[in-house]
Amino acid sequence: MAFLWDELRQAIPLITSGNDYILNLTWVTIRVAVVATTGALLIGLPIGLALGLGRFRGRRTLQILANATLALPPILGGLFVLLLTLPQGVLGGLHYAFTLNAVYIAQTLLALPYIVALTPAAIQGLPPGLLAQARALGAGRGHLSLLALREAKIGVMAAAIAAFGTALAEVGAVVIVGGNIENYDQTLASAVLSQVNDFANYPYALAISIVLLGLILVLIGLLTVLQQRGGFQLRFRSM
Amino acid sequence: MRLLWDELSRAVPMIVHGNPTLLSVIWFTIQVAVIATTSAAVIGLPIALAIGLGRFRGRRTLQILANASLGLPPVVAGFFLFLLFVPQGPLGALHLNITRSGVFVAQTVLALPYVVALSAAAIQGLPPGLLGQARLLGAGRRQLSQLALREARIGVMAAMIAALGTSLSEVGAIVIVGGNVYGYDQTLASATLYEANAARYADAVAIAIVLIGLILLLMCGLAALQHQGDGIRWRFRSAA
Repeated sequence: MAFLWDELRQAIPLITSGNDYILNLTWVTIRVAVVATTGALLIGLPIGLALGLGRFRGRRTLQILANATLALPPILGGLFVLLLTLPQGVLGGLHYAFTLNAVYIAQTLLALPYIVALTPAAIQGLPPGLLAQARALGAGRGHLSLLALREAKIGVMAAAIAAFGTALAEVGAVVIVGGNIENYDQTLASAVLSQVNDFANYPYALAISIVLLGLILVLIGLLTVLQQRGGFQLRFRSM
Repeated sequence: MRLLWDELSRAVPMIVHGNPTLLSVIWFTIQVAVIATTSAAVIGLPIALAIGLGRFRGRRTLQILANASLGLPPVVAGFFLFLLFVPQGPLGALHLNITRSGVFVAQTVLALPYVVALSAAAIQGLPPGLLGQARLLGAGRRQLSQLALREARIGVMAAMIAALGTSLSEVGAIVIVGGNVYGYDQTLASATLYEANAARYADAVAIAIVLIGLILLLMCGLAALQHQGDGIRWRFRSAA
């Protein structure tokens, strides 16, 4: 036990004294999570609304597909983005491989399934009369979408929090796409990996883990509050 | 598009001809998934039953904890285990770091929240009269547990499939505790990471394809269960 205690005693000052490396990691991590969640909301909400409100053929199949993408290993998403962004790849001209931009793209791709799959679920959970009534009263597509989003807002917020959480905790895709470069595109989670495996620097790894856990706990707290208000079940899961 | 196509055309023969390294990675991945899920079930189902059936103080807190532990970042969980297993650490005598056994243990710890949280939810989702009636008719704790497991079996199986799924796709904990040693304790997911970092993209793609195949298989299992679940609910209702 003495060993753990020693490591912890060295780790705490790193957090309290605001170590530059850890502050920078936290900042990069939050930026990645914010960009990924915003990107996923911008792309995913229209798709989620179409799946939740639309009455076209194949809607059900698309929804099953969206749910299935939630189960795909993040590392595969990472590999896919890497192959696209390598100089010889389709988007090679952008020179995104091993940059923060590639990390943004990969994390947006990984956050997308949460929004696309969970938004329709939240909309379909609304009282059935509500949207039908709005339709009967002549609401157009834009009005209907706004109404659905407003009524299902707790579900959509929960989906966004889940997406944010994965972006914080994910390592596989970040490491593959960004190369886990210190002081550049390393996130808290991928820094833990490199501090342990490459440097055996346990106090740093511990300090970073504590910061990451703190962020995740805030999210879990938010999600629990939303859950109690929304009366639905959504478990937060990290990869 | 050329790059993707080139890598793919080199990856497919590796799978078709059964590249020995690839086969051993597949075999180890399946071992990890099966051992971790089985151990998590053995440890987790009693806890899930206690949460789902028990009427003790702190039950609700336990459930919140189980749900919250699902959100624990795997790298962090892996690192905490690693610290326990370091030679100077409390469990250092077990020599689990950078070994296959260490990977089994780490993955079991990560699979546990799935088994506990999802099984407990499935048990709580049972028709409320069912267990109350069994209690009234004098069922003991053991009979009650058996009844609950049998009735909630679809949800419990879904929990197992979720646990298998994470074991297949998780990298953080496995890489930290196991060290991602080539030809030894790599799983398909961690081997993808390794090959991509080593710029052997064809190998990475071949491994990724096998991994997708396994995940698809699991998803079909889950879909079949859900389908069966509908049938069972229907039968239950028609009997009532």
